[in-house]
Parts: sequence; structure tokens; C-alpha cells
Amino acid sequence: MSFKEIMNIISVVAIPFVIFTFLIYGFAKKVKVYESFVEGAKEGFNVAVRIIPYLVAMLVAIGIFRASGAMDVLVAILSPLTNLIGFPAEALPMALMRPLSGSGSLGIMTEIMKTYGPDSFLGLLVSTMYGSTETTFYVLAVYFGSVNIRKTRHAVLAGVISDITGLLTAFFICKLVFG
Amino acid sequence: MMNYIWLALIAIGILTAVGTDIYESSINKYRNGVEFQALVELKDEFKTNTQLTGILKVSGEYFKNFYSLKNFNAKLITNEISIKVNQDGKGVAVLNISENTPEFWKLMAKGKGTNTDKLVANILKFEKNENGSYNVVMVFERISLVKIKQVLNAVIEYSDIAVKIAIGLIGVMALWLGIMKIGELAGLINLLAKIVKPITKRLFPDIPSEHPAIGAIIMNISANMLGLGNAATPLGLKAMEELQKLNPKKDTASDSMVTFLVINTSGMTLIPATAIAVRAALGSGDPAAIISTTIVGGFAATIAGVTAAKILQRLKIFRKELEENNETKTEVKE
Repeated sequence: MSFKEIMNIISVVAIPFVIFTFLIYGFAKKVKVYESFVEGAKEGFNVAVRIIPYLVAMLVAIGIFRASGAMDVLVAILSPLTNLIGFPAEALPMALMRPLSGSGSLGIMTEIMKTYGPDSFLGLLVSTMYGSTETTFYVLAVYFGSVNIRKTRHAVLAGVISDITGLLTAFFICKLVFG
Repeated sequence: MMNYIWLALIAIGILTAVGTDIYESSINKYRNGVEFQALVELKDEFKTNTQLTGILKVSGEYFKNFYSLKNFNAKLITNEISIKVNQDGKGVAVLNISENTPEFWKLMAKGKGTNTDKLVANILKFEKNENGSYNVVMVFERISLVKIKQVLNAVIEYSDIAVKIAIGLIGVMALWLGIMKIGELAGLINLLAKIVKPITKRLFPDIPSEHPAIGAIIMNISANMLGLGNAATPLGLKAMEELQKLNPKKDTASDSMVTFLVINTSGMTLIPATAIAVRAALGSGDPAAIISTTIVGGFAATIAGVTAAKILQRLKIFRKELEENNETKTEVKE
């Protein structure tokens, strides 16, 4: 069995396994499983509602940025710099969109693979980039929002450093493996 | 920091939109008020003051020059049109926007903001030619402030999306909070925390080693590694709740929170499920080819992020907000 097949099986089995283990273990430890579940679950609504203002603030800002076409301007400004390390200009919108928007970067990845083919260097590069980092600003808004934290200290800077490292590593490793 | 980033996104967005609109109106990008010439082949007999349908035909060359387009290769443009003309040859034309419509007209229709499925034009001249079709001269409706309108639409659309995402979380959130509650009461979460103690006491030195926060953090990271996004977010929010219990200043992020968040914003994963699925859907010969490269990219991002968080948390500018708290405390004591 290949690594991928093993991982696929694990990812399908993981959630049922965890739920089963928790219930059986809880039952064995004489926890009133049904009552405790309901007790814990009732908080779900509050958490979801609590993140709404943070999500609205973050997504509206990202929405304005995306709709304005500022991304194209940024690509034009940054491409001479990224050309220095041989980073393809076609993949630059992907690098800029990835930390901002999940649906936006998914759209860009799909578009690039449609145009250049999923097995072209660009296709392999953007799909590696997509997996190598997360939508930093969305995660920050949701996670801090859920506990009402407004002062995020060094979180944004550390997140952006992590994004840049992930995207650059994706580029260099792709060049090494597929280039 | 978040204040500046947030402001920057909005300000850059709005300034770019206004700038683009001013530039586009200065070069009259959409040729407002300029006469456009074309051929119309009617499906039915011509009658004045009657709604008639037909096909509009323009040479690609004329279209390209008219709008000063750079990359435009089509030889002939055809588009569905309906017209209504009076005896003077004046009237109204409506172009239906479909898949075959040239991109530029699609852009114009979209730029109107409303009724984006058609373009309206005033017909100035409508004459039969020797081939049995009609020569038409028309002026399209005014198109202006395209970007500003798109920004306005985005504001409304994205505030809606934000609420939908939050509402969509309620179900999985309730499920995992319920499961975690059982795990907590049964002592399973603490057991989990004990097992991973050697790693977590370095990453999160300010969390007591058997605190439920560690259990939730480990479950969140495991879910992320397995590509289980649906479970990862609720477990991560559970971890944040536990971290908040240990946080002395409730509106300010603690060191552990930032370290934990950076692990979440970097793509540490063993299965990049979404990317593989898209690659497979687009007919890749080897959709899983990117697994190894993605693992390397994600782990590099995580290591860099955690290192950065650990270094930055000691800097004065990022300690300031924490220390403000201590000052107020001592003031109270005095």
C-alpha cells in the first residue's frame, strides 16, 4: 500500500474512531455520556455567533481588496522582485491571495491548472503552494474572535513570516523535484 | 498590528478602485458616447416600432480597434440582439450577454452593477444594405465607476458570506464540543495531554502540562494533519477557549495563543486533500504527486512560524500590551 492509500484510510476512519473511543471510554469511566454531550454541545451556537463580528470585519476588508483590483497592482509592483529568484509571475497572484482568501486562492489555483495543465510546472507549483499554508487572516479572525480577543500582538507578523516561508519553500522544493 | 492591516486592506482597496475608475474614464475605456457600427441580420421581416430579434455581426478587427484591445484574436463577433426601431431609423437595441459574447462586453455588462445580463444601446441609424442585412449605428449606454460598484457589491456580499460561514459552523461546533465534554469528564483529554507532554511543554511553557487545553490543541493539530478541516476548526476553537481560561488579560492574545494560531495558519498537513481533488478533477496523470512537496512546504512554514512567534513574543513592542495590564494592577494595589 502506498503512503497516499494509508493516509486516505486513516483520514476516513479517524473521526468515527475518535467518537467511538470517546464514548466507550467515557461510558467505562461512568460518565453520563448523553447528558454530558448535550451539556457541551449547547455552547456550539454561542461560539458561532461570537465570531460573526470578527468574520464580518475581516471578510469585508478582504472583499474590498479583492474587488478593487489592488491585487493586479501589487503583482505589477512585486513581480520585478520575485523575478530575481526566478519565481514565475503567473503564480504570484496565488502567493498573494493564499493568506487572504480560501475561495479566492482555490479559484486562482484551478484557473492556472486549467490554463497550463495540472502536471505542468506551474500546475504542480500552485497546488503545492495551496497546501503549504492556510488562510492566515481568516484563521486569525475566527480563532481570536471565538474568545473575544481584539489585541492580537505578534500573531499577524508571525503568521505572515510563516506564510512567506511556506510559499518560498514550496517554490524551491518544486524547482528541485519537478523543475 | 491588526488595526493597521485591516485599515490597509480597506484603504488600498478603495483608493485603487477610485484610481482605476478615474483612469478608465480619462481614457474613456468603455467608449461612452462613441458611435459603434455593425451589421444586423434579422430573423423576421423588418417592421417599425416592433420588437425584432436578430444577430449582430462585427469584424474582430473593428472591435479590437474600437475598444483599443491588446489581445484580441477573433475574426468575427456575433451576438444575439433584439431591436425596436421607428420610421426615422432611431430606436433601442438590447444585446443579450451569453457565453459567446466577447469578454469586453461581458465586462461592460458586469460593470453596470444592475441588469448584468444585457447591454443596452441607442440606435441612431438603421438602414437596409444590398445583402439584405441592416447597417446599424448605435451608442452604448454609459458605463462608469465600474470598480467602485464592484467594491460596493463586495461589501454586501462578503458580510453575508461571513454570517453564512459562522452559521454553518454551529452544527460541527456543537458536535465536537459535545464529544470533547465527554472526553474531559472521562479524563481522556488529560491522558492525551500527558502523552504529548515532552513536546508541548517546550511549545507552550505557560500551560500547565496536564491542562485540558493541551488535549484540545493536540486533537486540533492531528485533525489538521489528516486534512479533516471540519473537525479541526471546532477542536481549535475549543483549545482557544481553554487557553482563554489561563489568559490573565482577556482581550489580549497570550504567548501560547499566538504560538497555537501560527501552527494553525501554517499548512502542516500530511494530506493536501483539496489540492489533490482539484488536480484529479482537471485530469492530472498523478494527482498525488504534490504530497511530498506540500509536506515539506507546510513543515517549513510551521517551523518558521513557531520560531518567529517565540522570538517576537520577547520584543518590547509586543510585550507592551501585556505589561499595560501589570501597570494597572500595581496602580490598583497602590
